[in-house]
Amino acid sequence: MIRNVSKLLRKTKEKKPHIQNNYQDSKPEDPLNGEFSQNVETLRLIYDNCSDVMFRSFLLFGKTRAMLIYIEGLSDIEGIEEYVLSPLMQESANVPQPLNDFLVLKMPVSKVKRVKMIADCIESISIGNPLLLYEGESDGFSLGLSKWEKRAIEEPVAEGGIRGSREGFNESLEVNTSQLRRIIKSPALKMQSMKIGKYTQTTVAIAYIDGLVDKTLIEEITIRLERIEMDGILESGYIEEMIEDNPYSPFPQILSTERPDVASSCLLEGRAVILVEGTPFTLIAPVSFFSLIQSQEDYYQRFMIGTLIRWLRYIFMVLSLLLPSFYIAILTFHHEAVPTALLLSMAASREAVPFPAIIEALIMEITFEALREAGVRLPKQIGSAVSIVGALVIGQASVQAGLVSAPMVIVVAITGISSFMMPRYIAGIAIRMLRFPIMLLAGTLGLLGIIMGVIAIVIHLCNLRSFGVPYLAPLAPLKGKELKDVLWRSPMWMMDTRPSFTGKSNVYRQSPEQGPKPKRGSETE
Amino acid sequence: MEKGKISSLQMAVMMYPTIVATAILGIPSVTAKFAKTDFWLSPILASLMGYVTVYIAYKLHKLYPEQTVIQFSEHIIGRLAGKIIGFIFLFFYIQITGIIIKEYAEFVVDSFLINTPIIVIMGTMTVLCAFVVQGGLEGIGRAAQLFVPLFIFPLLIAIILVFPDFEFKNIFPILGDGIMPPIKGSIVPGGWFTEFFLMTFFLPFLADKKKGMKYGMLTVFAVMITLVVVNLVVLFVLGTTTQTKVYPLMNVARYISFGEFFEHMESIVMAIWVVGAFVKISVFYYATVLGTAQWLNLSDYRLVIWPLGILMIVFGFWSMPNSMDLERFNLETFPIYAVLIQTIIPLSLLVIAAIRKRKSKRNSKGINSG
Repeated sequence: MIRNVSKLLRKTKEKKPHIQNNYQDSKPEDPLNGEFSQNVETLRLIYDNCSDVMFRSFLLFGKTRAMLIYIEGLSDIEGIEEYVLSPLMQESANVPQPLNDFLVLKMPVSKVKRVKMIADCIESISIGNPLLLYEGESDGFSLGLSKWEKRAIEEPVAEGGIRGSREGFNESLEVNTSQLRRIIKSPALKMQSMKIGKYTQTTVAIAYIDGLVDKTLIEEITIRLERIEMDGILESGYIEEMIEDNPYSPFPQILSTERPDVASSCLLEGRAVILVEGTPFTLIAPVSFFSLIQSQEDYYQRFMIGTLIRWLRYIFMVLSLLLPSFYIAILTFHHEAVPTALLLSMAASREAVPFPAIIEALIMEITFEALREAGVRLPKQIGSAVSIVGALVIGQASVQAGLVSAPMVIVVAITGISSFMMPRYIAGIAIRMLRFPIMLLAGTLGLLGIIMGVIAIVIHLCNLRSFGVPYLAPLAPLKGKELKDVLWRSPMWMMDTRPSFTGKSNVYRQSPEQGPKPKRGSETE
Repeated sequence: MEKGKISSLQMAVMMYPTIVATAILGIPSVTAKFAKTDFWLSPILASLMGYVTVYIAYKLHKLYPEQTVIQFSEHIIGRLAGKIIGFIFLFFYIQITGIIIKEYAEFVVDSFLINTPIIVIMGTMTVLCAFVVQGGLEGIGRAAQLFVPLFIFPLLIAIILVFPDFEFKNIFPILGDGIMPPIKGSIVPGGWFTEFFLMTFFLPFLADKKKGMKYGMLTVFAVMITLVVVNLVVLFVLGTTTQTKVYPLMNVARYISFGEFFEHMESIVMAIWVVGAFVKISVFYYATVLGTAQWLNLSDYRLVIWPLGILMIVFGFWSMPNSMDLERFNLETFPIYAVLIQTIIPLSLLVIAAIRKRKSKRNSKGINSG
């Protein structure tokens, strides 16, 4: 009761100024009129000044006036000519009656849909389905002949790998959903779609596996998506920022991937995948911190190397966060912690450097970030020039000129390489950003400052949730059994259970005790 | 007020550093003052105080499963008297938390950041703790779960690394002066063990209430083992000079030398120790904040976090202007003060509650039969 009231209150509060409608007189909510010429006039008015919208008028069976409306480049022109215009324009003495049944039953087009509302007409036209109107009929017919240029399925650029599928998502939603469907053939794979964006009308699909997913999760996602009211969705990043749990966190609470196999594995763990038209990056929720530093290849390769690489990643994640700060702290506050020989050589190399360690580190780190950013956005040909300039000028020359010390260059280089070790680009970004405040802390309070920074980050992570799932699960709160997929990567035949926070409704993913017990060759000879 | 739930394990990992963090710094020298070479026995005797306190806290919790001591003391001895008892508890915890923050800052400033103003060290720690308390009990539980292994494993590694410097004959003579010196040495740490009474603030929020007692006792045991091990290590390395050191464990850390590269690890040990101190202060801070909010019948304890934080820092300065006072307080006042507040008062509450319960039972029986 109280909840209902508060919901009502919230509803009234949320009535912000709506985006203005540009359709003039006739509202899209209106139904189509019985009058053919009036309907055409309405649509002409709506598509005023739209040179790409074609209005093709013809005579149906040589008698009835008819109009085909489609957008150039979105509809299959050959299909229209072959399957619509040529059969319908045949002049015949007896017009089949009733005409609308004939159209649905006899037209050689796979998808024919009756539309009654002007809004539906617009939607049909804008996704490329030609709209057929004719005299004496109050409904329009949307013909499934959309066809537009799309990119072929290519290798995912941002998430490469050695072993595993080479197919990536692309910009077309249908291609992406079909890729998921091709991996998960069960009808339990459900896709709910909705349209978001006043102008872009972007299709957004929530995919999940019925029976594995927590129903409340899908409800929550739907609620959060329905809240969105904006001009347009150009990339899934728009949606990510609108539905996150904590928008002020540097850590991403939703995973984005362009790999169908990663999306499918998350579906099988009881997570939901949000596919957005127009981008190869799909969103996965809920996620934990550890899914950001796991790569699909951990599972495709043998479990030992999977475990080792995982640990390598953990170590280098810590390094990329703390190494420069550690160096600063030791140089500024804790000389005694360094062995004398090393300290002497470090001091010798720093002799000519005019800056304190913290300034030196900040200069180098910021330069490195700038170099990286410059390299990412540039065309490939110029990109190599940037790296040469970076390596020679920033590295070699600045050391020779005595502006920075050689150990600092090494530290910055190692940090840079470690930050590339994150298999998910977005996870690396969080670490990159947090490096700087910790460097400042290290410059002011030494090791104590570093520890303070780390404690603050851990507190933040402990309180963070992704769609209700604790971000550090299964480490905190501790779920002993699930460490099999965090601290090490157990062999496939030991991964019997799903992660408990997402796979509560269906715990077991395989039958236990499937460890290989080879029969052949086990007898002693 | 607190909607979160924690597991018994989380409570245990919160309570463990609550005692250990400050105890490992001071316990060797404090106990060595009284017990000479037998000071490694003192924690065992002192832990008895811990078992008793956990038992009392758990029994009280059994009688009032949904309430903390601030709430049920009103039920046991009446509204006004209960409020007074509640105030005594809160005053004690605010003061003690302030002193712990001061103690922590003194240690850091004395040993490492000699030129840093102490208020900076106290302030940064208080802000961090306020930050975690703001997140609620679940957040503290999770943070503790992550930090405690981070606190224990380096300690173990450090012990292994100083192994070459062990002089095992330092332990003799065992009980050369009889049993009295170790008992005398156990009085101060006994006061520290009464801090287990803080459990009473967490027991109502356990998801698995049945295991509360078991994990409480296990934690006391774990703390005892840790302190015995620390005392033994210090004894083996420093021998009879232990009592002259302020922070014997840091002196031991100076002995660490491994492959001529890992030397002078004091700053690393300090950094790790700060993690334990952080959990300890957060636990005290949280208990104080929750208790204050309950005492004032507030609907949300987050309102009092920042004011209490400031009050604690101020109390740290008021109670302990310098480290001499701090030492005197720790040796002379604290054992009696802590036992009085955290064991004697709860024990009296338990006795009164038990008597009242029996009385009311008898009364109801009388009514039934009559």
